[in-house]
Amino acid sequence: MPTPALTDTLQRVELADGVEIHLRIAGPAARSVAWLVDCAILLVCYTLLGIAVTYLSSWIGNEAGTGFFFLSLFLLNWFYNVAFELGPRAASPGQRLLGLKVASISGGPVSPQQSIIRNLLRTVDFLPFGYLCGLGSCLFTRRFQRLGDLVANTVVIYAGTEKPGAQLSLAHTAPAPPPVPLSREEQAALLQFFERAPQWSDQRKLELATILEPLTHARDAASLDQLARMNAWLLQLGSTEPAQTPEAASAATATP
Amino acid sequence: MNPTSFENQNQPRWQRLEDMVAATEKGRAPDDVEQIPTLFRQTCHDLAIAQNRLHRRALIERLNELAIRSYRSLERRSAGGWERIFQTLTVTFPKAFRSEWRLFWFCSLIFWGPFLAFALWTPHDPEWAMALLGPKQMIALEEMYGGHETTQEFLRKEHGSDFMMFCFYIYNNVGIDLRTFAGGLLGGVGSLFILLFNGLQIGASTGYIHHACSPTSFYCFTTGHSAPELLGMVISGMAGMRLGLAFLLPGPHDRKTALQLGGRRAILLLAGAAALTAFAAIIEGFWSARILAPWIKYTFGACMWTATIAYLTLAGRNSNHAP
Repeated sequence: MPTPALTDTLQRVELADGVEIHLRIAGPAARSVAWLVDCAILLVCYTLLGIAVTYLSSWIGNEAGTGFFFLSLFLLNWFYNVAFELGPRAASPGQRLLGLKVASISGGPVSPQQSIIRNLLRTVDFLPFGYLCGLGSCLFTRRFQRLGDLVANTVVIYAGTEKPGAQLSLAHTAPAPPPVPLSREEQAALLQFFERAPQWSDQRKLELATILEPLTHARDAASLDQLARMNAWLLQLGSTEPAQTPEAASAATATP
Repeated sequence: MNPTSFENQNQPRWQRLEDMVAATEKGRAPDDVEQIPTLFRQTCHDLAIAQNRLHRRALIERLNELAIRSYRSLERRSAGGWERIFQTLTVTFPKAFRSEWRLFWFCSLIFWGPFLAFALWTPHDPEWAMALLGPKQMIALEEMYGGHETTQEFLRKEHGSDFMMFCFYIYNNVGIDLRTFAGGLLGGVGSLFILLFNGLQIGASTGYIHHACSPTSFYCFTTGHSAPELLGMVISGMAGMRLGLAFLLPGPHDRKTALQLGGRRAILLLAGAAALTAFAAIIEGFWSARILAPWIKYTFGACMWTATIAYLTLAGRNSNHAP
């Protein structure tokens, strides 16, 4: 396996069964938007609370209404996120809207302690204003953790899988073996190239195919065609015996 | 086996696990729920094979997602929260508190030091306390604890609804506890600042009341809830310092691990501190404002101090549970 890139939103986690799962870590941008949505929701909550207290006060008296207001304020301020994170979706409404959820670092659900710690420490993450501390911490940790996440050992991940894009039809491609044996990483790069190809413009496909000139001895469309044949061959074979000469076609590793 | 036959062959099994996990996520238990661990292990195995054989990404992602979801389902904690809270308050917290006795004396010093200094010094030289309190607060103190006939009326009016004041104390005092804990992450500075500031403030108020108001009405109001409230404040300072010290002196661990371990111990202390402060809020809201003979108030206060200290030093001593 190659050394993992420094910034990779895919985090490998090894479960007790020895199997590796991949968590897709959410970055500060998505989390900020989720936070803004939550802010808007809280704002609506405060407004509704104010109205509710005004009505309630005429029922149960002014003092009791004010008391109710303080109690609700306390719970909303400190436990809004905790309540949602411990729910079945493990996400505040804002996070849910953006398809995020909070998880323990192993991908498991957050425990009540973890959730309380990470949300109480928002006070510090918010300093000096607008979650600047949290943002700084996010940018300097591998898993985009703010300070509260670091202490509670939690991460914010994307819930669910990426929507699969259009699939490339390879029915009419005649399979052809690559001229040199490809290593596992090279095979993976080639397969992923064609899995992702439908998302790119034609120019981009040709540009990337041309980088592989040392392997295909062709440029542009001809190179792409050759690569498609190798891809079809790999798919048809469905086996990836380790290559004997890993140094061959080293340029192939430069693919996406 | 080629990728297509691999998928076709195992598809029913994955689908079955997917349906079962979806059911448990909605809180329903499927009939053959005991099969989930087996299916989960098989799926993990399939995922490993698919990853190793470089199967198509959509398949790997689907299996990956399925593995995560089943893992979360299996790891989900079942109910029993109340029992755990009870256990924490009666055994785990007092034990954790006693094991942090060094921090207790340190935080006590930070809080009681300025408190006593101001409380004892102010009657002789009120200038400092007056500068600290400011005119607004001095007027408020004189109104509340002036010791005149109007005081009782004032109290009755102000605390006309015990419930309102109780809620306010929860909002304000427990909020301070939580902030004290969070401030600990700044290397303990935040916690120390809040402890010191409150010690100064309360000390200055006490001193000023001895100087200008009626100490009897002040002590009648405060003795009842003073024990859990002040000790709760000191303990929330301990929670913050536990976090701060984990950062400053990580010991044998790296800083991140030390913070995680420290956070776990600190949240236990904080839970106890918040419970004590909430308990104090009940007393302060529903008892402290009652107009009763001073000896009743003082006896109650003494009982509260004894009970709180006994709770912190004795509770959970006979339990064999690990802290």
